[in-house]
Amino acid sequence: MKTENEIMEIESLPLGKIISITCKGIKIRIWRSLIVVSGIVLAIAFLSYILCSDGFAQNVSKAAGSIVEQGSPEKIQELKDQRVQTYWMVGLAILISFVGIVNAMLMSVTERFREIGTMKCLGAIDSFVLKMFLIESVIEGVIGALLGVLAGILIAYVEGVFTYGSGVWSLLPLAWLLGVVAFSFVTGVIITVVAALYPAREASKMMPVVALRAEL
Amino acid sequence: MSSDTVISIKNVKRCYRMGGEQVWALDGVDLDIQRGEYISIMGPSGSGKSTLFNMIGGLDLPSEGEVTIDGAFLTKMNQKQLAYIRCRKIGYIFQTFNLIEVMSALENVMLPIIFSGASDEEAKSKAIGILDKVGLSGRYDHRPSQLSGGQQQRVAVARALANTPAILLADEPTGNLDLKTGEDLIRTLQKLKDDLGVTVITATHDNKMLAASDRVIYLEAGKIIDIKTKEHLSFSFGKIG
Ligand SMILES: Nc1ncnc2c1ncn2[C@@H]1O[C@H](COP(=O)(O)OP(=O)(O)O)[C@@H](O)[C@H]1O
Ligand SMILES: [Mg+2]
Repeated sequence: MKTENEIMEIESLPLGKIISITCKGIKIRIWRSLIVVSGIVLAIAFLSYILCSDGFAQNVSKAAGSIVEQGSPEKIQELKDQRVQTYWMVGLAILISFVGIVNAMLMSVTERFREIGTMKCLGAIDSFVLKMFLIESVIEGVIGALLGVLAGILIAYVEGVFTYGSGVWSLLPLAWLLGVVAFSFVTGVIITVVAALYPAREASKMMPVVALRAEL
Repeated sequence: MSSDTVISIKNVKRCYRMGGEQVWALDGVDLDIQRGEYISIMGPSGSGKSTLFNMIGGLDLPSEGEVTIDGAFLTKMNQKQLAYIRCRKIGYIFQTFNLIEVMSALENVMLPIIFSGASDEEAKSKAIGILDKVGLSGRYDHRPSQLSGGQQQRVAVARALANTPAILLADEPTGNLDLKTGEDLIRTLQKLKDDLGVTVITATHDNKMLAASDRVIYLEAGKIIDIKTKEHLSFSFGKIG
């Protein structure tokens, strides 16, 4: 008779295979994926728009500051207040992004409980389920954040043309603009993956019967 | 436990908490199942058939008691060992089939083969072979929603057989089907038992599905109230019919 030690363990699938299974799933559920992606686009467009407009404002006041030379204490205080306000806006933008993306991820995981349960009955291990959702979130995060950054900056510049005239094109140093792009993009991807982590972990640890029973 | 016992269930209890109340879905079940046996679990709705099915299949763990498969304790296995058992040793057929909607018939059957570590090509040719055998050639690329109930069930059967399991678990597999399709399935299960020595365990509340059984386990309110062997069964059928 066999002892516990002799019980075989299933091998993890190679990452490449998990990626290909995940990509097939995204393709077939393209509308669901697009809803998640559009949530990320909106959130990150908002973030990069705020950062970009703030960049305009800062560079304009810098230019103004050099003309006025040592401005009045009131003027300096006003500029400081503006900075604080901007930090709040950026913080709020990140929070809104996070809540929106968490919600989208939660939905896309919970509506697949049955599928997860079925896969576990067929031999899927916890890490397979976890990786599947994380890979999906990385793909959606990258695409969503990229489109979001583009949209946000585009909107900021279009608005900037009305506010600052054609001078807006040279207002932001290139390094500053790239900084906005990089910060928004990385924030978008990280938020998306972090948002997916919790529901994906919970889903991956479920006993098959719990997942199969979940009715939504 | 005899040397040919494949599944052993010892004083298994499963409790569900509903609000403040405890429901004992299984209330102390003892059962040894022999290799190659055809077992039917019979009982009214809510008697605990599915719960027992889940315990035997390693899909859920008992609140108390032990389940062993080939002498190994399910309750002491880690998730990778449980996955191995689910993938390689047991085939499941569910009442609602539980096919993966976003996958084609072929992909559904390929999935457990891929989980077992086979390459895509291997999985594909094996899955095609099984689908042909259950009479679904030419339906490989159909999604479950594009198939009839009977065809969906054949996909479910093909998927359950994908890794040639030693144990086949079927929870009210004929519940959603008309009589003829149901009888076809019973015949298929019996053939698997006869030809390949597969241990078959089905849950049912339908007397017509008992004909192939070596033993019938009668379950009520989470307890075994009677066990009838084949001889006994045919006798009582003869009397009634
Ligand atoms: N997840 C659950 N939560 C609460 N009660 C449950 C759960 N699963 C089953 N039960 C209860 O356990 C009993 C047995 O259920 P089940 O095993 O599904 O019976 P059967 O398959 O014979 O119809 C029923 O009273 C059912 O309501
Ligand atoms: Mg049931």
